[in-house]
Amino acid sequence: MLRTIFSLAIAVLAFSACTKNRDLNEKVLHITVENKVKGMDPINTGDTYSSNEVARVYEGLLQYHYLKRPYELRPNLAAEMPTVSDDGLTYTFKLKQGVLFHDNKCFEGGKGREMVAEDVVYSIKRLADARNNAIGWWLLDEKIVGLNEWREKQKAAAKTDYDAEVEGIKALDKHTVQFKLREKSPQFMYSLAMSYTMVTPREAVEFYGKEFLNNPVGTGPFMTGTYTQSTKIVYVKNPKYRKEFYPSEGMKEDQEKGLLKDAGKTIPLVEKIIVYIQPESQPRWLSFEKGKTDFLAIPKDNFETVVTPSKGITDTYAKKGISLEINPDLDITYIAFNHEDALFKNNIKLKRAMSLAYNTAKSNELFYNERGILAQTPIPPGIQGYDKEYQNPWMKFDIEQAKKLLAEAGYPGGKGLPTIKYDTTASTVSRQMGEFFKKQMSQIGINVEVITNTWPQLTEKVHKRQTQTFGMAWVGDYPDAENFLQLLYGPNSSPGPNGSNYNNADFNKLFEKATKMQPSPERTKFYSEMAQKYSEDVPWILGVHRTSFVVRHAWLKNYKFSTFNYGNSKYWDVDLEEKKKTLDKL
Amino acid sequence: MNSTWNYILRRILYLIPVLLGVCFLIFVLFNVVAGDPTGILLGKHASASQMAELREQLGLNKPMFMQYLDVVKSAFTFDFGRSWATKQQISSMLAQGAIPSLSVTLPGFFLATVVSVLLSTVVAYFRGKGIDLFIRILTIGMMSISSLVYIMVFQWLFAFKLGWFEISGYEYSFPEVMPYITLPIIIWIVLSLGPDVRFYRTLILDEMYQDYVRTARAKGVSEKMILLKHVLRNAMIPILTYTVVQLPFLLLGSILLESFFSIPGLGNMVINALNSSDFPVLKAITVLSAVAYIIFTLVQDVLYTVVDPRVKLK
Repeated sequence: MLRTIFSLAIAVLAFSACTKNRDLNEKVLHITVENKVKGMDPINTGDTYSSNEVARVYEGLLQYHYLKRPYELRPNLAAEMPTVSDDGLTYTFKLKQGVLFHDNKCFEGGKGREMVAEDVVYSIKRLADARNNAIGWWLLDEKIVGLNEWREKQKAAAKTDYDAEVEGIKALDKHTVQFKLREKSPQFMYSLAMSYTMVTPREAVEFYGKEFLNNPVGTGPFMTGTYTQSTKIVYVKNPKYRKEFYPSEGMKEDQEKGLLKDAGKTIPLVEKIIVYIQPESQPRWLSFEKGKTDFLAIPKDNFETVVTPSKGITDTYAKKGISLEINPDLDITYIAFNHEDALFKNNIKLKRAMSLAYNTAKSNELFYNERGILAQTPIPPGIQGYDKEYQNPWMKFDIEQAKKLLAEAGYPGGKGLPTIKYDTTASTVSRQMGEFFKKQMSQIGINVEVITNTWPQLTEKVHKRQTQTFGMAWVGDYPDAENFLQLLYGPNSSPGPNGSNYNNADFNKLFEKATKMQPSPERTKFYSEMAQKYSEDVPWILGVHRTSFVVRHAWLKNYKFSTFNYGNSKYWDVDLEEKKKTLDKL
Repeated sequence: MNSTWNYILRRILYLIPVLLGVCFLIFVLFNVVAGDPTGILLGKHASASQMAELREQLGLNKPMFMQYLDVVKSAFTFDFGRSWATKQQISSMLAQGAIPSLSVTLPGFFLATVVSVLLSTVVAYFRGKGIDLFIRILTIGMMSISSLVYIMVFQWLFAFKLGWFEISGYEYSFPEVMPYITLPIIIWIVLSLGPDVRFYRTLILDEMYQDYVRTARAKGVSEKMILLKHVLRNAMIPILTYTVVQLPFLLLGSILLESFFSIPGLGNMVINALNSSDFPVLKAITVLSAVAYIIFTLVQDVLYTVVDPRVKLK
């Protein structure tokens, strides 16, 4: 008996010990992500993880220039940037010719056909179809002439008629598509670089029905088979991908970093991509250190062992050929006041007192390893309207002034002020942040009750305007200050993205004007002044703009951080010789 | 024999009122007490009109009684529809998740039970002696350490440092799956040993002080024979009770192990469903757990008759 058990144990261990040999004969990207991908339908890619995966397979009319910063749009499926009518309302796109959808059984003979203007029209209608209840509908809601009307009409019909015309989206010929907007909206162009508007073939949607989300058929540089809810996704190079080239222009530092060495080369540069879904930070980090993945955003717990106080990489990791990339993310963290609550509605002094009593620098040290840039307005660095010289007077940490203002607000030493509720999620860090906020406010005599919620509970409370204060973060959808300032726009109040329900008529007017302005120095100044003026109204206690710290192995070539990472893996390369050498050191 | 079949049939029929009760609880929890899921489902740009449309589509505007009937219908047909959050077919999600979960929990549970029963038999045999004391202290020590510590230390040591296993991941084919599941199985066994050995030891010792053991000793039967032939057999009924009721929960996997080892099992699915207000998935899991629990307690009753012929099912 014992002998049998022993033999079995040996056999199991022998099987197990056969950990996979790394494939060093083929260029394969190994990428790790934190969250499971919901599915592969572009119109429902509401999270960054799903968007990134969808964009390996699908493509939109536009994309961001891989190397240039600030972010710049350039054609993807479009042959060139669109012509825009004098009134700024009509956008006409010429499409690239000969772009093929992936081979798939949904097409006649299983061969992917050419992508044409009608496919673009169909994809936009799919996004608008109320039956699909697409997460991305907000992007085009009230934007295109006739699209909302089409949506309403189809909602009432027994079945959606995708052949019914929409005045604002037309295929003028096989390779020309035209959009007519209701009113000027320069942000519309960004919509066409987002995953929601990526082009899908009608045959695939009709062939797979509800299972379309698991059977991606795009025009992209990579293909994958039927998607399963596993923890690994494998993509292979699309053998029929059109001739696309690595960019020849970039920033000055790109040349120095070797990011232009492959200028003019045909992309994609690798044969395969393997994406691993690893929800926990320890296995993500160990896999990276072992060389099983190519790059990684440094987990909070590993930060101090990898990054020196001067924000360089420690010798231990430098010797292994690991390098560090530091880049600002387009986001902001904040504590919002609910302006529907009588306490904060017309009490600017109370809000300012609370803002002055909150030590953002300390919070940055405690919760972000001092990685964040202290926010002075909602606009993050890296987009037009950010002014690095500006210092918000209510963002400095000043307890004495805070106490004075609190007294002026009618609550000397906090007397007479009811306990303020702070809602947050139940994660460890969120709870710690809640306790930190409570401690900060206690310095001026304000009592705070920290209420923890599940994420759905917190969302619902914010939507129903049932909070007093709550912690939140916003990650930009596109690189335009409008996407951040809209968080204070009155008509966007809950359940919209303006969870603080800040509603200032003057701000609303200026916002409406700004969103119709074409990008220009004048608009940049306008954004900047507007953000500064109304941040001093303290609708939020501003937090930080987070910074991304990414480590990568020496064999990964052409990697450049981007907040809008959609489709960028087509530019990445793997140096197999370097990999063989480096793996021995790990 | 007839009475056994009647008993089984009757117990299966009991499923109906139990399921109706479970449906009622699910209905109260998810349709009455829980909030509006549409905000979380539509993401950060949810608008009031789109939320209203989605509520209509999800059937949340129907009268409460109709919503209850929908829950009952899905429970009795096992057709749970599609996930609200991922839009995936729930039956496929369950099928895809059950295999990875069971590939860890089933061997882990089986091996942990065998090892624990063996160990507890040994310590019961040597009760009061050094080896008994040592294993008791060891098991208490093992139980005092958080499961998270085992997972993190074992993963770091055996997978990262020694490279004996994969750090995380999963393969659906054999033997490719072995490097991925062996370490989680070992951790499962280690986590189970502490409480199991202590529990089984108590059960076996209880039996060892029974009259029939004294009689056997008086007849000159050896201690080994008493333990293996009489005591163990009689201790099997409580052991069966303890093990069989745990079986349905194996399907749900281990949330922590699945999360740390990237095993695409049902444990992770439950967490994701909770975080995204994915009520249909939660309803499906709850109904299936209830059904599995009832079925396994029935199996347990039938097994009693095998282990102890004195037990009659009536």
